[in-house]
Parts: sequence; structure tokens; C-alpha cells
Amino acid sequence: MTVENATQRPATARRRGIRPTRGYRIFQVVNGVILTGVVVVTLYPFLNIVARSLSDEAYIIAGRVTLVPRGFDLTSYRLIMSDAMFWTNYRNTVVYTVLATTIALVLTTCYAYVLSKPQLKGRGVLAGIAVFTMFFGGGLIPNYVLITSLGMKNTIWAVVVPNAISVFNLLVMKAFFESLPTELEEAAAVDGLNTYGILLRIVLPLSKAIIATMVLFYAVSFWNSWFTAFLYLDQQDMFPVTVYLRNLIAGATGAQSAGGVADADAVQAAATIQSVTIVLTTLPILAVYPFIQRYFVSGVMLGAVKG
Amino acid sequence: MFQQTWRRAAAAVVGLLTLTLVACSEEEPAKDLSGNRAGAMADYGVGDQFTATEPVSFSILYNNHTFYPLKEDWLLWSEITKRTNVKLEPVVVPASDYEQKRSLLIGAGDAPMIIPKTYHPQENAFVSSGAILPVSDYLDLMPHFKEKIEKWRMQPEIDTLRQSDGKFYVLPGMHEKPWHEYSLAMRADILDQLGLTVPKTWDDVYTVLKAMKARYPDTYPFSDRWHKPNPGGALLNFLGASYGTLAGWNYQHVTWVPNEKKFVYTGASEQYKQMLQFLNKLVAEKLMDPESFTQTDDAARQKLANGRSFVISANAQTLVNELRPDLAKTQPNAKLVKIPLPIGPAGEINPASRLENGVMISSKARESKNFVAMMQFIDWLYYSDAGQEFAKWGVEGTTYTKDAAGKRAPTPDVTIVGLNPTGSKHLQKDFGFANGVFAYGGKLDLVQSFFPPEEMEFQKVMNGRAPSPIVVAPPHPLTDEEREQASLWETPLKDHVTQNSLKFILGQRPFTEWDAYVGELKAKNSEQYLDMVNKAYERFQKSNG
Repeated sequence: MTVENATQRPATARRRGIRPTRGYRIFQVVNGVILTGVVVVTLYPFLNIVARSLSDEAYIIAGRVTLVPRGFDLTSYRLIMSDAMFWTNYRNTVVYTVLATTIALVLTTCYAYVLSKPQLKGRGVLAGIAVFTMFFGGGLIPNYVLITSLGMKNTIWAVVVPNAISVFNLLVMKAFFESLPTELEEAAAVDGLNTYGILLRIVLPLSKAIIATMVLFYAVSFWNSWFTAFLYLDQQDMFPVTVYLRNLIAGATGAQSAGGVADADAVQAAATIQSVTIVLTTLPILAVYPFIQRYFVSGVMLGAVKG
Repeated sequence: MFQQTWRRAAAAVVGLLTLTLVACSEEEPAKDLSGNRAGAMADYGVGDQFTATEPVSFSILYNNHTFYPLKEDWLLWSEITKRTNVKLEPVVVPASDYEQKRSLLIGAGDAPMIIPKTYHPQENAFVSSGAILPVSDYLDLMPHFKEKIEKWRMQPEIDTLRQSDGKFYVLPGMHEKPWHEYSLAMRADILDQLGLTVPKTWDDVYTVLKAMKARYPDTYPFSDRWHKPNPGGALLNFLGASYGTLAGWNYQHVTWVPNEKKFVYTGASEQYKQMLQFLNKLVAEKLMDPESFTQTDDAARQKLANGRSFVISANAQTLVNELRPDLAKTQPNAKLVKIPLPIGPAGEINPASRLENGVMISSKARESKNFVAMMQFIDWLYYSDAGQEFAKWGVEGTTYTKDAAGKRAPTPDVTIVGLNPTGSKHLQKDFGFANGVFAYGGKLDLVQSFFPPEEMEFQKVMNGRAPSPIVVAPPHPLTDEEREQASLWETPLKDHVTQNSLKFILGQRPFTEWDAYVGELKAKNSEQYLDMVNKAYERFQKSNG
């Protein structure tokens, strides 16, 4: 975000014939150095994981794998990919994420749009209800009892419904809708559109940026979430891949509580298997991110600045 | 109008409250089992194979381990049904967060009937809610369990499980002999090179480390692992045992002093201090890596594999599965051995407990018409010799064979922990046997049946030693209020002990401040805590002694 702004501004400044001040240049350099540092710090662990996933176990144990894979080895990829449960859970994650994001998006948009209308009676109460849940929750067991008595336990709904409205996202979206000029909607109304028509044909097409941002926010959080699934599901073939991954890593590191007897191959391959699973799990989000990021920047800015 | 509604609502709330109170104060259900015998065997006794007289099914909480994730087509499930007419319905929980889910399910009243893999005192948290069954009331339904207690003289151990009502709530796994796993692993080739023998006592360990340091001054000869959940977890645990105190993983706030017939506060005891002094000596003389208490396991393994350390804590599993393969890849000539637990001031002892994790029963199961059949089933599967052998080895002729001397071996295409490494099928992964949920404890020969010869040697030495007198402390169950108080005191006390143990070991705090440290513990109520435990002990002696 900041990098982009930093490069844009001097360009326009130069065009106008104003030379950037000395102080500003120093700021730019310092900024660049700090941000490069941040990039390195964030990127290194990930690249290291990728390198580990492709390396031979011996080099990892010897601590010689940093950024470049050593002793190129794909056994772990083959091992993981041949585990049917991994793919079942992977498919679950995809299904859960797509469905949950869709539901979340529909609900959040409707809620936010309604809240953005100042003429709505009881708007304060409606907003209050949402904000209240930011600070107070029912707790684990009541939630569990609720989901169970609604009959959602061990169904896909237990995963995709409970977190459908994130209050933070709701408020960001509300701020965005509030920033849209009311004249547009009034004009649409004069032209004969009803409320739904205005939302679908006027407001939403103008809100691509915020919608893309919300898709990203929601999709990433659903993709990464494991706790809801862990709570409300008790069948292996319904778990998302995050639960699979978490169990795998815990199993490989928890020597103390390893029940029964561990298997030599499993432990042996553990270090690379962890890395492989992490890489495979992060890959889709990583692949999608660059395409949405464009909207993401403008979307968050719009909501934040004009709200 | 509004007033009226309000009053009605209030009345309803009061009514509800009264109902709850009445429900709570209801008498314990009478021990009449006549309505719960469906499927049960009329005369089920020691040596009998349990088979339900009609098909029954029981729900069971299943701890799903990554090394052998549950499969529905396991021979384990079908063979259980074939032999016992019981169908188990597992509620699958990833092993990573088993405890959390268990608490949730029990708290929400949604727990399965059978709840295995419970380590005492984890069950304490559920006792006062009444959600789990006081299993000690129903031992008459479990002939094998009773027989094992008698034959192996387990009563003192069993008594440690009792709550303040004199009952116990978990059916523990039981070992015929204590099984101690952890000790130091050492580079035998370095010992040979230095002309040293395997150290017998902790003082010998010190001498050996010193010799290693003299020869390789750039190394820390001892760099340890297992810093979770508390620093030096494994090391403090077995070193503490040698000093006669309960430290590390197994830190208990109070330690039993057999001679004085009372408890002392562990973290303030003389034995605990001596143990810390020993480690402090190692660290001060640079014989032990100060990072031992904070580094990850992988870091410690790397140091060992790269020859930057020669000694590490180990058990049979990590020795064979991790440490040796690591070394084989980096230093093919290295020879790593696990040495018998070095002897300390507490003498030649075996610090292992004979109790294992165990099974809780949901209170709701008591109302099931199959309750008696379920208890008989648990008795057979977990406590009969046949059931234990089945859970560990599977089906004779299919997954294993037995020679004339009774020695078991996997069938040619079955592999398990280094036995038959070329076998195409895995006893755990493909059949579901030797599964941590069902198979643990038992007779000595069964427990040791997977052990490689060197581990047998280790066990032989350890079993030649006397059981540690501090492991089986006399029962001192706290009442509900006391336990609540205790749990408020325990966390700050334990944190303080853990932090300061590390400071003393690393030399950040000199031992001249030991008295000040004990004073700080007192300020955190260590005395009151101790008092409460000693009183609970006397109370239990009076009413049950």
C-alpha cells in the first residue's frame, strides 16, 4: 500500500515541476529500507518452508536448508498426495470456503446496505445488536449447545453459517455504502427502480472494490479457520484440511503424549511432510491474492478514508 | 399490562430455578441394575470371553492419531463386533486438541458413553458436575479389572485416584511392572574414544561430560530437548526422580516424604534445591548448553546430529526413530546408546508409575439399558489378558503368530516398529491394532513384546530397581471448595517455581537467594496449600484408613 503511494506521489510532483524536498527523499529511502526489511522477514520463513518441502530429510536435520532446496526430493509430495484423506479434507475446505464466503457476502451486504440508510428507523438498535457481539459472546459451551440443538452438528451448515457476519467487515462495508452519493440512488428511484433494483443495478456495480475486499477477507478467514470445524464436526471425512494439518504437526512434535508406538517412517518424514502440507494448503490463497489485491487496496482505502 | 407479563416471567424463572434445585438435590440413583442388563452376560467371570447376548452399540470418544488415522474398514472394528457382538461408534477428535473437545462435550452434556485416554487427574475437573460416573461403584461388573488389582497388588496405586467422596471416576490402565522410558542417550563412540565407561550415577555423568568438554572444548557436550510444556520437562522429571522429588513434566506441588509421613512443598524442598544445584553446576562449567531449556526439539536434534553435542534426553522411540537416523545421515560412525537411568541421592529406584491413562464413563451411560453389557465389554477389552493381547497384536494367524514359548511375531506381510520392516501392511495403519486408544499396559511380556533387545536390557536394569516411594503417595483428595481454592493457588505457584528453577539453573539467580525464593513461595500461599493437602490426607486416613 504505502510503497505504491510513495512511488506515485513524486511522479505527479515531478510532472508539475515541483522537486521533492530533501526531507521527503530521506523519508523515501528510510521507508524503502524498513519495508524491504519487513518483506524479508515475512518472506523468509515462507521460502524456507518451500525449500524444506523440496529437500532431502538429511539436509534439513543438518540445518543446511535455508532458501534453496538441497538434495531435491519429491517423496513427501508423493506421500501426502497419495493420502486420500488429505484430498477429501482439501475438497471440504474448498467447498466450505466457497459456500461460506457466498453466504457471508450476501448477508453482510444486505445488512450493511440497510444500516447505511440514515432514514431507517431503529438503525441504532440494528447496529447495536451487531456491535454487541464484538464485545460479548455466549461462550463455547452455550454455542455448542445451540448448534447441536439446531441440528447443525456434523453438517456443512455448522461450518458455513455461524461466522457468516463479521462485524468488522460489516462496518467497513457500511462506511463504504454511506460514502456513495445519495443523488445516484435518488435518480434511480426517479427512474422507477425499487429498493432492490437500486441495490442490485446501481449500488453493487459501483461497489466492486469493496466486494472484492470482502471476498478476500472472508475467503482467507474461512480458508484458515479450523476451530469451528473442530468443534462441530466429529467425522474425519468432513474435516477441512486445516484440522488435518494441525493434527499432523501436533502429532509430529508431541513426543510426550504419543500414544501407542510411533511408526519409524512417519516420524522420519515428519519435517518435510509438515512443510509440504503447509505449502499445499497456502498455495490457492497465494495464487488468488495477486488478482484481488488491486481491488483490495482501493477497497480498504475507500471504506476507511471516507467513512 | 407490562407489569403483569413481567411478573409472570419472574414467576416462570423462579419456577425453573426451583426445578433445577430439586433436580440437583435428587438422591443418587439406587444401585438397581435390573433395567440395565439388556445384552449383558448372566455369569461373566475371569477368563470368559465377553459376547453380548444381543447386538449392542456404544459411542466412544476417539483420539485420532496422525500416525494411524482412523479407517472404517479396519480389522479392529469388525473383529470386535465378531467377538463381542458390540459395534463401536467413534466420535472422531483430532489428537491435537483432544482434551479441549472432551471438556466441551462433557460440559455440553453431549459426551459419548465411553471416554478413553484420560490422564489422572484430568478427571477432577468433571467430578463435581456429576457428568461422569463414579466407576468404583460398579467394579462388581468388572471381574478382570478386580482380578488384576488383586494379583498385581495395585490397591495403593488405585487409592491415589480417589476423590473426597472416597470414589474414583476413571478406570486406569495398569502395568504389571513399572515401565520407565526416559533417560540420557550418549555417544558411545565418544566414550570409547575417551576411554570411559557408561556412567552409573549422576556424578559419573558429570565426570563424563567434563572429559568430553576437555577433549572437545568448542562444544556443549549436553544439549537437551523437550522444553514443552515447561523448560527441561523430561530431564527435570527423571533427574528429579533420582533426587527424590517430582519435577519437570510431572511437577506436583506436594511430594510425599515416607519417613516423616507428611507432604512437603516440592518447589521449596531440599531435594529440589539439590537437583537445581546439580544442573547449575553443569551449566556454570559449560558442560550443558544453556539453550537446552528453551530450544526447539529440532534444534537440539541438529546439534546432536552435527556433533555439536553428545548427550541428549531420549526414550526408546526417539532413539530409534529420530536420533539414530539423524546421526546415520550426518555421521555414519556415531554410536548412540540410551544409558540406564543414572543413580542419584534417592538410590537405585525405578521412578515410573504403574498407572496409565484410563477410561471415563459418561453418567448418561448409566441409564442405558445396555449399561451392564458395556461395563463387561470394557472389562474384557481393556483388562482381560485376551482383550489386551487382541488390542495390541490383533488376530492370531492373521496379524501375528505365537511360537511354542509364547513369543509373538507379526505375520510375514505385517510390519510394526521395526519388526518385519519389509512387510507391506502396517499393524496400526492398516489394521487398527496397537492403537493408543485401546492398547496400553498389561502383563510385562505383552508390554515388552514390541521392544528391541537393547530396550529389553534397559528395562531389565530398571525393573531390578525398587519402585520409587514417592510415586505412590497416599490419597489426599480435596473437597470441591478446597479444589477451587487450590486451583487459584496452583497457577501462580507453578509459574514462580518454573521461572525460578530456570533462573537458578542458568545462574541468573544465586543459590544464596534460595531462602528469599522460598519466602516468595510462601507469599504465594505455598504453606496454606501444603496445610490443606496435609489436612486432606489426615481426613482421608480417618474416614477410610
